[in-house]
Amino acid sequence: MKTGLNTFSIAVKNLRRKIIRTALLFLAVTVVTGTLFSATLFISSMRNALKIGTYRLGADVLVVPEKYVSEARTALLAGEPTSFYMDRAVYEKVKRVEGVKQASPQLFIKPASFTCCYSVDVFLIAFEPATDFTIAPWLEKNLKKPLSGDEIITGREVPLITGDTVPFFGTPFKVIGTMEPTGMKFFDRSAFMTMDAAYTMAANSKANSMQPIDLDRSRISAVLVRVQDGYTPDRVAIRLEHDIEGIKAIASDEIINTVRKQLGGLLKGILAVSAVLWILALLMMGFAFSMMVNERQRELGLLRAMGAKRGYIFRLIITEAVIISAAGGIAGLAGGSVLLLAFKGPILSSLKLPYLVPSATVLAELTAGALVFAMITGLLSSLLPAISASTMEPYAAIRKGE
Amino acid sequence: MLKDGIMIDIRNVTKTYGIGGQTVKAVDKVSFAMGTGEIVSIIGHSGSGKTTLLSLVGGLTKPDSGSVVIDGKDIWSMDDDSLSELRNRKISFIFQFSSLVPTLTALENIMLPTTFGNYGKDVEGYARELLGLVGLADKADSYPSQLSGGQQRRVAVARAFINRPEVVLADEPTGDLDEETEREVIELFKRMNRERKTAFLLVTHSSELAGQAGRQLRMSSGSVLPFINTVSHRER
Repeated sequence: MKTGLNTFSIAVKNLRRKIIRTALLFLAVTVVTGTLFSATLFISSMRNALKIGTYRLGADVLVVPEKYVSEARTALLAGEPTSFYMDRAVYEKVKRVEGVKQASPQLFIKPASFTCCYSVDVFLIAFEPATDFTIAPWLEKNLKKPLSGDEIITGREVPLITGDTVPFFGTPFKVIGTMEPTGMKFFDRSAFMTMDAAYTMAANSKANSMQPIDLDRSRISAVLVRVQDGYTPDRVAIRLEHDIEGIKAIASDEIINTVRKQLGGLLKGILAVSAVLWILALLMMGFAFSMMVNERQRELGLLRAMGAKRGYIFRLIITEAVIISAAGGIAGLAGGSVLLLAFKGPILSSLKLPYLVPSATVLAELTAGALVFAMITGLLSSLLPAISASTMEPYAAIRKGE
Repeated sequence: MLKDGIMIDIRNVTKTYGIGGQTVKAVDKVSFAMGTGEIVSIIGHSGSGKTTLLSLVGGLTKPDSGSVVIDGKDIWSMDDDSLSELRNRKISFIFQFSSLVPTLTALENIMLPTTFGNYGKDVEGYARELLGLVGLADKADSYPSQLSGGQQRRVAVARAFINRPEVVLADEPTGDLDEETEREVIELFKRMNRERKTAFLLVTHSSELAGQAGRQLRMSSGSVLPFINTVSHRER
């Protein structure tokens, strides 16, 4: 018959002995793991969203009017619809700047809600099919055709489906495709049309719309730039700003850096709190396990008298710590996730940042990492008490416990 | 005379402790030998070094000088793992104090030593048999806190035989027991000695238990006084 008595079961029984102490240690690990996990997941999610966003943008540098740079950033990062224009001549100048491989103009148009019955803000983005390298490849890959003058494609959050017709500034457009979600409102809440269609729509708006739009063909909102091999976006951006007056060139890295700066304070705060919590948990667990070993000296001496090897005593103490930290780690993961879901909205809206859940792989790595971290915490905190317990002379341990 | 050859051979063993800045010789140049299946009792006043001697014989503490040889091997020349295996396989202790693990049931306490080595499959069956032999068959699932002092002592006695030891080192094994239970425990010792040739080194104040010993060692101030042969008493 199987005994069912092994190191694990004995460790579990030992932990039940002082249930309040065990619960406190469990709670400490839960708080530390939960804080670290939710903070790491949060930051990773935002980085992920940024990466996808800038990838989707498909440009190394975005050239915008100098005085509208903050609107441009907000539009890119938070997807807030905005309208700003500059002279088309900027596009011609950009093409000639050293290091520029490709350039394509775009128009950003902020419309009112597009019909009586929808309240979602749709951001209109117009691109030039002949030079575009961001939307056109998607069209080629997914629809196998270019956009005609009365057609649009939409982001995933726009409440329209393929086949719908919707008017913008009095001009009806037919939806011929929906892009996959990106997590960035800039894309997910946008409708994409050709620049020619946008200019025509603007021209007709005076007659067709209650809210006409003042936009002629000499105006553009931004120029998207792809840099040549051997040039960095940063360098080209500096050169663009140097060579062309009245513009701001935002390198894709700079967009991330801006967010990083925004996140910096928050991140530092979270890390500092996490580090303090971790050290406290480590000290608390170390102290508790030292106490545990001290209280059980005679018992551990008895185990040695019965033939338990030093390694067994060491494993027993470590197993107890790892059980607490693994259980606390799992609870921390669950708690951290709940916490993140609960506070995600307010944090994001105050930071004006996009959010995208990381891929399953990254999520699995973060989860595994948090669990390993929790167990390492348990392991480290119990290491010294475990060494001390395992190296005690059996008779001395028995006598000290008397 | 020793039976069947020497199993334990203690030579000039000395053990000192530092207590309050003073050095106390708990065991002073003690030498004696025990044969396989022999029963030896140790008597002496409190503090005379009996318990320390038991722990030296069982490899629980290292002597300052001298040698402890069990089955022809100097146990202090072994590494710690080998010594632990020796304790697990050949030696059992019955301590004077309560020595049960409070988080384990009576049955689990008896089986505990088997978790430190490779024992056969029917460990639980044998543990239940031993529990029956000490009259506690119905207490298998009781925790130490649910048992009286005497019952706890009987569980500890039962545990001492789970590994089928060659020698049992017992410190006042019948100390907490009433006369009837003491007799049952003594019967168990005699049975194990008879059937398995288990040797016993007993520290006891019980004249009945001491009477089972072939020889008696008397300890005083850490030294062993000359042997008293009690075989005639036992045979009588």
